[in-house]
Amino acid sequence: MSGFLSYMRGDSILHRLNPLTKLVMSVSLCASCFITNRHGVVAGIIAFNLLMAYSAGGLGRSLVMSASFGKLALVLFALQVFFVRDGNVILSLPLNIYVTDRGALFSSLFALRLVAAAMPLAVVLSATRMSDISNALVRYLNMPYKYTFVLTTAMRFIPIFSEEMAGIVEAQTARGVEFDTKNFFKKIRLLLPLCVPLLISSVRKIEGSAISAELRGFNLRTRESGYKTYGFAPRDAAMLVCCAVIALAAKI
Amino acid sequence: MLRFDGVSFHRGPEKVISDVSFEIRAGEFAALLGENGAGKSTLCRLSNGLLKPSSGRVTVCGDDTARTRTSVIARNAGFLFQNPDRQLCQNTVLGEIVFGLEHVVSDRAERERRAGEMLAAFSLDGGRDPFGMSRGERQQVALASILARKPRMLILDEPTTGLDYRECMTIMGVVSRLNAEGTTILMVSHDMEVTADFAERALVLSGGRLIADGPVRRIMRDVKTLDEASLLPAQIPALAVSLGGVFSDAFTVDDMTALVERANATRGEAAR
Repeated sequence: MSGFLSYMRGDSILHRLNPLTKLVMSVSLCASCFITNRHGVVAGIIAFNLLMAYSAGGLGRSLVMSASFGKLALVLFALQVFFVRDGNVILSLPLNIYVTDRGALFSSLFALRLVAAAMPLAVVLSATRMSDISNALVRYLNMPYKYTFVLTTAMRFIPIFSEEMAGIVEAQTARGVEFDTKNFFKKIRLLLPLCVPLLISSVRKIEGSAISAELRGFNLRTRESGYKTYGFAPRDAAMLVCCAVIALAAKI
Repeated sequence: MLRFDGVSFHRGPEKVISDVSFEIRAGEFAALLGENGAGKSTLCRLSNGLLKPSSGRVTVCGDDTARTRTSVIARNAGFLFQNPDRQLCQNTVLGEIVFGLEHVVSDRAERERRAGEMLAAFSLDGGRDPFGMSRGERQQVALASILARKPRMLILDEPTTGLDYRECMTIMGVVSRLNAEGTTILMVSHDMEVTADFAERALVLSGGRLIADGPVRRIMRDVKTLDEASLLPAQIPALAVSLGGVFSDAFTVDDMTALVERANATRGEAAR
């Protein structure tokens, strides 16, 4: 999962879209998942995401990511499905535990939404450089550079911290801490003390980045500092229309 | 103690380790040399089961790493990482050493006794915060927490990188003493001087292949092999090779000093 937010080089339509269009697209698709109450629409959004990922050359990565979220969605489904008591009973278990048709529909929609809502941003980020998103937000939405820098840096640090955590777990396993146990609760208990080295290394890295940015004139940057421009092309309009249609379909 | 039998390791389509075979016997001090990206760290991770071989077999202290959990292997084989901060997770040095023991020693008094031994061996203050210490001191704390478990084998991944001379000598002094007491050592190092001073055997990796395996004294003089692995020999062996003749056997500063003094004496006698 560590590399699922990292940029993949390419020249697909998704790569060539304006960064703002891509952001609008991801927000719109994500919102559409929560507007609709129909499984078909959410499944359609997942299919659309996979299509975009395929066109950008990242289908494999998207499928791996969907599978990871799918596991989480399954856990949430299993938790939800027993708590909805309305509707007709379709499965009855001992101890007054049962599953209703409404519970099954609600929980499956919830699980599908989780997968569908997580995908757009990941697909967009795999086809967009962080610096392009940041520059476009500053140039066209007049967002202060400091805020966009915080946003993009936070995104950039996710895979770095993920790798750091993997390294820490590896180091602790090598000193005999049983992270390779199959007992889930034991693993969670063992993970808690590791927050300390992760926090320390994170703060060190962030401090280093901040000092480095300061020394390279971070505070001198203005809206005009970026040399790149991002034009709007017909493909951007087509994508926005496409997203609007999906949002309308979700609303109806 | 550690045996690689035809071990290969792939990371995706890339072959990182290619058909490596060697055996390190109990009590040996072996250095693993090679350029960046040669596969040294991967080989170390294969040695304690953090990575499983794609083909071939790795056994450490009799355990097949493909079938044994790393946390179990760690009871016999300690591993010191290049970055000590990944190992440290407690608020005090004493807590850090005891944390490593909690997973092996159930008796509290025994844990405290062993921790006390380590604090004395490294002259560490048990009440200090490890994250407030220098890098060299943090490396010592990490090493102390491993040694408290009394491993039969120690795998060191570039233990002296980023340390000053004094810190380096403190770490290597402890490692050398352990080796003299019978602990088997496998050390990855870029520092040829440290390798020449402390290791007795060298394994040279290049492009994931083991291209040389033998006594450090021989490997340090094998300019062709070292060149293939983008390594420079330690200064005294390099000087000895360069001077040749009676000096070609010199390996340490003491060797070279003795040979120069003998040469001077011979010249003096000849002049008389």
